[in-house]
Amino acid sequence: MEIEKMTFKEALSRLEEIVKELESEKISLEESLQKFELGIKLSSLCLKKLNEAEKKIEELTRNADGKLLTKELWNLSAFITHFHTLN
Amino acid sequence: MEKSEKIHIYSVSELNNSIKNNLEVSFPNIWIEGEVSNFYCHNKRHLYFDLKDENSKIRVVMFFEARKKLEFEIEDGLHLIITGFVSVYEKRGEYQVIAIGAKPVGRGSLLLAFEKLKARLEKKGYFDPAIKKDLPVLPKTIGMVTSTGGSVIRDMISVLEKRFNNYNLLVRNVNVQGTTSTEEICDAIDDLYEYGVDVIIIARGGGSLEDLWAFNTERVAEKVFGCSIPVISAVGHETDFTICDFVADVRAATPSVAAAIVTVDKNEVITSIKTMLAKAGDLVKNKIIYGKKELDNLINRKIFISPGTLFFNYWQEHDVLRKDLSGMVKMIVLNYKSKMDILLKDLHANSPVSVLQKGYALLVEKKEGRVIRSISQIDIGKDMDVTLNDGILVSKVLNKKKKILGLEV
Repeated sequence: MEIEKMTFKEALSRLEEIVKELESEKISLEESLQKFELGIKLSSLCLKKLNEAEKKIEELTRNADGKLLTKELWNLSAFITHFHTLN
Repeated sequence: MEKSEKIHIYSVSELNNSIKNNLEVSFPNIWIEGEVSNFYCHNKRHLYFDLKDENSKIRVVMFFEARKKLEFEIEDGLHLIITGFVSVYEKRGEYQVIAIGAKPVGRGSLLLAFEKLKARLEKKGYFDPAIKKDLPVLPKTIGMVTSTGGSVIRDMISVLEKRFNNYNLLVRNVNVQGTTSTEEICDAIDDLYEYGVDVIIIARGGGSLEDLWAFNTERVAEKVFGCSIPVISAVGHETDFTICDFVADVRAATPSVAAAIVTVDKNEVITSIKTMLAKAGDLVKNKIIYGKKELDNLINRKIFISPGTLFFNYWQEHDVLRKDLSGMVKMIVLNYKSKMDILLKDLHANSPVSVLQKGYALLVEKKEGRVIRSISQIDIGKDMDVTLNDGILVSKVLNKKKKILGLEV
């Protein structure tokens, strides 16, 4: 499977597998280097996916025509600011 | 009999009809409370029963249209409040209440209705663990059905802020109790599904069984069951269980727990990724060290057997290893770079030394710094450095003889 197309979960479990595979004594040096390289790619993919979402808090409503639309929830955004001053 | 001309004589139908009209006008919209007895359901459609108290009882009919909207099953012994109007069944001349709505009264009745619905839905397979959907590990958008007014959503956001700060939350505001609550919750699930979210949290704070009733209705249960997006139910406190909890893919003890379930702890995950990578790096490093030892063993063996092939084999092994190492050095832009450099230097330093220790020498032509492999590469009278394992002999070529190991070539 191509790394770029993996989900976060797939990439993370593949990384776990790689560590297990590297623990095996049968694996050759060349293979282990390849796997290590794959592991680095997988971990950067995981880190990328963890950070790619943009933080948003919105409310889903319907307008007069019954069409779905989203708007920012200002009162909760204010709460978050408050939350961080407390912590 | 003269007067009798003026007396109005009702027909039976007429009287019943008149009474009916009077009653319907007098009791058009009433609430009546009592206990159910003589319950009977005709053709699985209309419901007939008596509502009674200590001293009296009254006949009640609930037609199919009203029954469809019922959020529980009626049965004997249930304590109910019914809304409707008084009417007459003209065919028999019996007055009765036509019920258009009903709800259980008191904790006992609510519990009974709850247990009854729970048993029925369980039988229908609504709680089957085998059909519960997995939650997405990293949901792009988290849908939430809750009240935007209360502290519940604030509690959940506080948890999200701590665990995964770049969350994407889409809230569908609903009344979490009251007469419209059931319908609002169902509509909210539909809306979130239509808009497209990766997971839905249905959340409400604690309350009495009556307060939580909307989450114990068959309509909400069916909506959650039919939803193809994974649903987390977080209704009430840890000790509160609702039908919605049983049907949902995951039940969270509280709304805050739901917020923790729906996201990973980002810092924790990053730490575990780094740990795994470090472990992988160590394993590879150990492999290289082990490989180098094997290589040394190889050299030590071959030197006794076939000195002529030593350099060939050695350099081939060395090149393979070097290639791998340089490839690796490129890969590890991480902390491993320095460790690998040390290892690489180590390899360079160690391997020729082990050869020199066997009594071989490295000849380098002084002027151009070339390694001398043949007597044709240096002229008589030129300077050269003869490197042995413990130092260098600064030398001059005095003469040349074309021989190897004492044999004429």
